[in-house]
Amino acid sequence: MHAYANPTRFLAIAKPLTPWLLGLGLLLLLAGAFAGLAMVPGEAKQGETARILYVHVPSAWLGMGGWTSLAVAGLVQLVWRHPLSGIAARAIAVPGMLFTALCLATGSIWGKPTWGTWWEWDGRMTSMLVLLFLYAGFIALTTGDEGQRQGGSLSRGAAIYALVGAINIPIINRSVVWWNSLHQGPSITLGGSSIDGSLLWPLGLTVLGFSLLFGAIVLMRMRRIIADNRVAARLRRLADDDEGY
Amino acid sequence: MAGVISGGGQWAYVIAAYALTALLTGAVLWHSWRAMAKAEKRSDALRKDRK
Repeated sequence: MHAYANPTRFLAIAKPLTPWLLGLGLLLLLAGAFAGLAMVPGEAKQGETARILYVHVPSAWLGMGGWTSLAVAGLVQLVWRHPLSGIAARAIAVPGMLFTALCLATGSIWGKPTWGTWWEWDGRMTSMLVLLFLYAGFIALTTGDEGQRQGGSLSRGAAIYALVGAINIPIINRSVVWWNSLHQGPSITLGGSSIDGSLLWPLGLTVLGFSLLFGAIVLMRMRRIIADNRVAARLRRLADDDEGY
Repeated sequence: MAGVISGGGQWAYVIAAYALTALLTGAVLWHSWRAMAKAEKRSDALRKDRK
């Protein structure tokens, strides 16, 4: 793991991997969205609105998965001081926030025709909104300090914030079990799925497609930060050389 | 339940959810790609100047 914490080694893998993740992700996403819109039947009780699940569930998964990855990156930064962990955490924040916002928005759009309301202050929706604010806080804490912190690493405060924020992830996950909620209970668990197989398969495509796109976005953002760091380092060296004369 | 919408009226909500997802995901993808390409171009140009 330490061997790949070197930005040069990382780039040797990330550069060829980015277009593959992007292309394959888009392909799976388009196939899953087409299947979800045109190939599967409407759900018996919810009707056509159940098709929103093919974009809502991957968004929820990536919003929560994004913060989990961000917390792991924060931990790695605190314990091992890997130069890439801070860069990874910075790169994850914006797509993580995007998918959390999409989860809330598509859930709200689903809620209006299904429950008769756009929003309800119940455990699931409120804890997901807290996650959105956590992302916003992390972005506010870390934006603009890349140049001041060596190699794009996180401040100690930002890394601890990422770890503390992870407390919200199991709360989101268990909220529909712990509290009465308009939101349905867990449909897919380790024990199986309560969704019929004829409706479930496009979800596999969109979850995988969105996950690959998320990976591509994170790699692109990491490459941008590494390139900016290199430019800043070269400019500093040039300035030092000039002062030497 | 009051306000529940059924039948063909549901499609407007489905399309709105997909359109919003496509728009926002596309915007973040495009922005990330552009920023990466620009930063790597600047970094490569500076390295060539040094040689």
